[in-house]
Amino acid sequence: MQRAPWWRIGWRNLGRNRRRTVLTAMGLAVGYCSVVFMVGWAGGITAELVENATGLVSGQIEIHDAGYRPDRSLYDTIGGRDGADFESLLATITRDSAVVAAAPRVFAGGLVSSGEATSAGILMGVAPRRETVVSRFLDPLVSGRLPEPGANEVVIGEEMARQLGVAEGGEVVVVGSAADGSMANDLYTVAGMFRTGLAEFDAATLVMPIGDLQTLLVLDPARIHEIAVATGDPATATTTAARLAGALGAEARGLDVAPWPELNPVLSEYVSLADSMYWIFIVIIFAVASFGIANTMLMATFERRREFAVLLALGATPASVVASVLGEAVAIGAVSVAVGAALILPPMAWLHAAPLNLDWLYGNVTLQGALLTPSLRIEPNIPAWTWATVGLVLTALLAALYPAVRAARVPPADTLSGV
Amino acid sequence: MHRTSTPAVRTEAVWKIFRQEAEEVQAVRDVSLRFERGEFTALAGPSGSGKTTLLNLIGGLTRPSRGEIHVAGQALSPLGNHELAALRLRHIGFVFQAYNLLPVLSALENAELPMLLQGVGLEERRARVRELFLRTGMEGLEDRRPGKLSGGQQQRVAVVRAVAGQPALVLADEPTANLDSAASDALLEVMAELNRELGVTFVFATHDTRVMQRARRLIRIVDGAVASDEARG
Repeated sequence: MQRAPWWRIGWRNLGRNRRRTVLTAMGLAVGYCSVVFMVGWAGGITAELVENATGLVSGQIEIHDAGYRPDRSLYDTIGGRDGADFESLLATITRDSAVVAAAPRVFAGGLVSSGEATSAGILMGVAPRRETVVSRFLDPLVSGRLPEPGANEVVIGEEMARQLGVAEGGEVVVVGSAADGSMANDLYTVAGMFRTGLAEFDAATLVMPIGDLQTLLVLDPARIHEIAVATGDPATATTTAARLAGALGAEARGLDVAPWPELNPVLSEYVSLADSMYWIFIVIIFAVASFGIANTMLMATFERRREFAVLLALGATPASVVASVLGEAVAIGAVSVAVGAALILPPMAWLHAAPLNLDWLYGNVTLQGALLTPSLRIEPNIPAWTWATVGLVLTALLAALYPAVRAARVPPADTLSGV
Repeated sequence: MHRTSTPAVRTEAVWKIFRQEAEEVQAVRDVSLRFERGEFTALAGPSGSGKTTLLNLIGGLTRPSRGEIHVAGQALSPLGNHELAALRLRHIGFVFQAYNLLPVLSALENAELPMLLQGVGLEERRARVRELFLRTGMEGLEDRRPGKLSGGQQQRVAVVRAVAGQPALVLADEPTANLDSAASDALLEVMAELNRELGVTFVFATHDTRVMQRARRLIRIVDGAVASDEARG
């Protein structure tokens, strides 16, 4: 193996035509910046969608009676008609190290009226203090305060309040079907209003303390429909759910422990699609960049045919000549990565810490019940960024391969003839 | 001139025929020569006489159409391209008309390049190059790039590069063609001294009378064939 200074030669060759080197390196650096930025932005969109889908109202994991989904019948409560000691279940759940909090919920359909106006809606019973740890939609409220248990108080979505023409301190009548078959109805005071940005949810949801809704629906206090679970990292929800199912003896108890990808498969598929799109970004941008490098290296090697002929005449092997050209390509790739990283990482770090508000450009977007706010948020994706770096250097190498092989095939006698 | 059992170069009825469309050009015709170690020989002839082609054949840069060439006892025809490259690396040094130094390397780095390819260690490389730079009047210019050297200085670096790897012979193709008289004389003196003191074998292709006058053997090539071969004082 010849231990010639190919890397040194490659590096120094970059300085021979500085304008060309700078233009090529900038082209590659811009490509690198584009990949890193697009991956980071796509990651930010995905992260916000998942966070909002699993943290705004729903949980990263939801536990129901095995027959509750998809019909969501009033009678399919955890533990069946006898209900369950859900405090014991909550204690088991919160013992898991990945779990941040868990909260019980009761749901029913109903009508909400104020004066002449009526809205069909979802009645949601929550344990207010627990709920604000599991989800974000009640904290902070747009106005007012959380409802007090036993005080016939509710909070409603801002849009529902607008449609009903009711304000904080106003009264609404709630009508629904009770579990005993009777008509459930009562008068409640609006203690506060929430706004999630999810138009349907804000227009159709009324929240009251869980005990008050159980009373309205004539449901035994042991009967709840859902335990919402918040975990530290949505990405680990599936493994955490599997662990909780084991800890709770879910199969024996007829429980369904579902992580968010199972509850919202469309969003899960979107996340998978976004992940695969990283690679498409990388391939497209680097494929374009490869032509720039190939062109530069072809010109550079053509100009230096005589030098390659000299190397070959001196006894360098063709492989050594290939190495010298590839060394130059790697050098330009390394410079491009350094320039690209220096250009893009500071603004990326800033956008990660303080996402840019884009509400002048577009409003809230809802995707499968997940809210996407108009912001430019960057999420680090170290594996993708690492592959972008490796990809750039590999692109430089691959693009230089053909010029390198041509350089190694320079006929020394003909090329040096007369010189 | 002394004869040893293994000459630096031996050619046996070597032909080189180029085909240009339907025409056949006999660049080298039936050349049989023997170059002993330590020779200082000039291949002289007008442009197009075939002397550069003969040099390229001896250097393994092109293959003969017929005949055989031996360098340091090794027949070239059985060798593949990689083996030829290895043989050049071990046994042959080149000096070109246009110097052909690598512009991105310093004078010292250019001179030590063949030794790097040979795998010679750093200390030995530097010691050999510094000694040769001293002999050739290049001391103090080790760190200069070729662009900062005169033509004569660049050609001296090329000569050091050719001999530093301790080859069996050095092939020099019109080494003085781009130099003025003073630089040519100085370069020839350097090469003559290296030949005399280190025993390096030089074979020149030239039509420079100064080179012919200094050569101890003068072979005239005409139309690709050896027209005369005379040993000189």
